[in-house]
Amino acid sequence: MNFGRLLRSAPTLWGLAGFLVVLAVWGPWIPTFVLTLLINLLLFASLAYSMNFIAGLTGYVSFGHVVFMGTGAYAWGYVVGTFGWHPLAGIVAGAAVGLVLALGIGSVALRFRGVYFAIATLVTALAARNIILVIPALGDGQGIILNLGFEPLTWFYTIWVILGIQVGLTYWVTHGRIGYGLRAIKSDEDAAKALGVDAARLKLFVFAFSGLFAGAAGALNVWTLSGVFPEPAFDLLFSLQMLAMVIIGGMGTLLGPLLGAVAVYLPHNYFLTVAVGAEFIVIGILVTFFALVVPQGIVGALRRYVPTLRGIIE
Amino acid sequence: MADASVIVAQVIFGLIRGILLGCVFALIALGLNLVWGIAKVVNIAHGELVMLGAYGAYFLNLFLGFNPLLTAPIDAALGLAAGLGFYFAILHRELRGKEAITLQSEMVTLVATFGLSLAISNLANIAFTGNFVGIPFDAGSIEIGFLQIPLAGIYVAVLSVVIISLTHVLLNRTYLGNAIRAYSQDIPAAKLMGINPTAVAAIGTGLAFAVTMAGGAFLTTLFPTGINPYMGALYAPISYVIVVLGGPGRMWGSLVGGLTLGIVIDVGQIFLGVEIAYAVAFLLLIPVLLLRPEGILR
Amino acid sequence: MTITIAAVEVHKRFGGVLALRDVSISVAEGQVVGLIGPNGSGKSTLLNVMAGVERPTAGRVVLDGKRVDGLPAHRIVERGVAKTHQIPRPFLGMTTEDNVTVAALYGSWKVRDAGAAREQARKVLNLIGLDGQADALAASLTVQTRKRLEFGRAIATGARILLLDEIFAGLSPDELREAIRLFTHVQEEIGFGALVVEHVMPAVLTISEHVVVIEEGRKIAAGTPSEVVRDPNVIEAYLGTEAARAAT
Ligand SMILES: Nc1ncnc2c1ncn2[C@@H]1O[C@H](COP(=O)(O)OP(=O)(O)OP(=O)(O)O)[C@@H](O)[C@H]1O
Ligand SMILES: [Mg+2]
Repeated sequence: MNFGRLLRSAPTLWGLAGFLVVLAVWGPWIPTFVLTLLINLLLFASLAYSMNFIAGLTGYVSFGHVVFMGTGAYAWGYVVGTFGWHPLAGIVAGAAVGLVLALGIGSVALRFRGVYFAIATLVTALAARNIILVIPALGDGQGIILNLGFEPLTWFYTIWVILGIQVGLTYWVTHGRIGYGLRAIKSDEDAAKALGVDAARLKLFVFAFSGLFAGAAGALNVWTLSGVFPEPAFDLLFSLQMLAMVIIGGMGTLLGPLLGAVAVYLPHNYFLTVAVGAEFIVIGILVTFFALVVPQGIVGALRRYVPTLRGIIE
Repeated sequence: MADASVIVAQVIFGLIRGILLGCVFALIALGLNLVWGIAKVVNIAHGELVMLGAYGAYFLNLFLGFNPLLTAPIDAALGLAAGLGFYFAILHRELRGKEAITLQSEMVTLVATFGLSLAISNLANIAFTGNFVGIPFDAGSIEIGFLQIPLAGIYVAVLSVVIISLTHVLLNRTYLGNAIRAYSQDIPAAKLMGINPTAVAAIGTGLAFAVTMAGGAFLTTLFPTGINPYMGALYAPISYVIVVLGGPGRMWGSLVGGLTLGIVIDVGQIFLGVEIAYAVAFLLLIPVLLLRPEGILR
Repeated sequence: MTITIAAVEVHKRFGGVLALRDVSISVAEGQVVGLIGPNGSGKSTLLNVMAGVERPTAGRVVLDGKRVDGLPAHRIVERGVAKTHQIPRPFLGMTTEDNVTVAALYGSWKVRDAGAAREQARKVLNLIGLDGQADALAASLTVQTRKRLEFGRAIATGARILLLDEIFAGLSPDELREAIRLFTHVQEEIGFGALVVEHVMPAVLTISEHVVVIEEGRKIAAGTPSEVVRDPNVIEAYLGTEAARAAT
């Protein structure tokens, strides 16, 4: 296949790949201050892609996604703190726990539609935090403190790899057979079933990916913080921001989660020095505005109103 | 192991407290239930409304020396205005002209109110500071044997049940109530009967907000230092569980759900501790959703 | 080997409503069976039970000798039976072709490759005369075109037996003639069996070799079209007691 045609067949994918390659090559020379910002931005993007797998691709809005982050974080803290695993192995453990938990929660909660799914995931996350608070092995609500040192480059390349896999997987599931099935489910689940789509299995499949990556990202997050504490690990604001990023960027799109991450991370970073918490006012108003006025998100709106972009971004 | 009679006493006390709390929970959930049942909108910013109701009571008491029980009508008036504003600013553009509310509309309003919830709680955090505050209020207590029951709790529980009953009467015995119920069941048919759908949905939302904010005011007497910008994050999920337990659109269902949750939380913490009692209360939602036949579970 | 789907002594209750009482019906591949009955008589409910959308309260559904009631809808599609919706439910944000492609990918043909499935979808669209609208968004289609798309999607699942819920409703006499011609052509081409639900008698009578009549959830008559129209029970159900008395 000639290169130009390959590029034209999936410009957004190659654009994202190019962006990631530039970051990787630049990595060792990035000033530490910028690097820490980038790590957080990529972490946000990774969380957004995780949410995109379920909310974006199937329309099942999860309010409780932090449960996968939180348990991923605790899994990391436990294997690193108690068993002395290498932190990178801890990330794998976090991903595995996220995956298993997603399979468990998903096989029940994905039977509920619309608002019922949203509420079921929300209460599950709240309950999970309360349960973790009283488990002695997990610090009895005091958390797990670890002192692992400052390794921004390792964190950077770790989140880079996670994000790269997510982008590739998002492309893979949105194109081809699975993509057709997911779009059918998102549009009308009963009609999809009537055409032979095994909706339950397909939903669980993407939900599992969603949990896996949220678990990995949650683990990486606490690695950069050198400790796991219940309140921040299960902070519902993570769930809400994950959702906000996907809504703002464009549900179910390939580029949207990254744009959404930038849109949510920028006010975050700006208000950190001005008025803590004010970023959520901006993000909240943006979410309401997008839900009512631009429900297709940035990517959807660009595709709709800028015809030349239609064949380029997705 | 504690003495058996001590445990019995604790359980009885937990039961009574749970019932009192459950009545107020029911009132708060009634507000959610009304919007859910009438406009088919699950208001994620419901908890923030409870929070605003509580702050309303707090400031009226702080600056004007109001008895917290008397702040409820003022809160309710504010809630009515807020509900009408909310309907026209947010819901109207999604619901107007619709013959039935689709899953898609449901998700749009869900996400839109979620954005509001985030904005309002954090705005409150800046405006009111993040400190926990409360209203010093002691209406005395009555003693039954070894039990001391605060009168304030009894007042708000009774008032909550009265308001729930009045709402029930309003919905079932008045012209407005019939119009609201007709709208909630079949919009085209309601229109044929000469009912203005916009007016009905707006009034229903206003009523719901009024009830919720009054519930927020009542809560302040049960939790003397429980007022905080983020308190909605607890009362919203509690309300979801209650409404699902009792059935969306069923007003008495809210009372049953509220009492169930109040008792599970207050009796549960005696044996399980606060954290697990709340976890159990939240997770009650799952079996209820699973056991419900058509409609919710598919 | 041809397949047969049969509902056997099916009952279906919705709360206080008994929508089906002891109804039996069967359709074989290659055979066109009509199902008629007044409004609310339980026709759609029977189709839903057979397609796995609803579980029967009592009785069984047998496909190719095996019980299939209780199986989810997609498993029944997998075994070669597909149903259309009385009120069309296209995937509104997708094109006509993509709508049909979903069916080709997930139906009993098991085409795994999206390109090959699109190929199949185009063939089906050609067959039913929708090729001109392949790239139109389903949301932009008229109700009648949506009905035809329902039909096309059901065919594209590779179904050997179709359960068709009022696909001829709402057509003008000319359109109806045209639609019946198309249906007969496609049916002969593919050779599927069909259970055709209709209100409008003429349509059913011309295309079916066997007709079943239900009223208030009960089967009141069955036979060839000419037998059924002369059945006093049917005349009574459709025209009232007076007419029934006059006819006999
Ligand atoms: N999901 C449901 N819940 C409750 N009742 C139902 C449900 N589906 C159907 N019914 C009831 O079952 C009965 C049969 O309905 P059904 O739709 O099968 O009739 P039909 O013959 O297809 O009518 P039509 O000709 O109007 O399409 C009706 O009384 C209807 O109200
Ligand atoms: Mg029907």
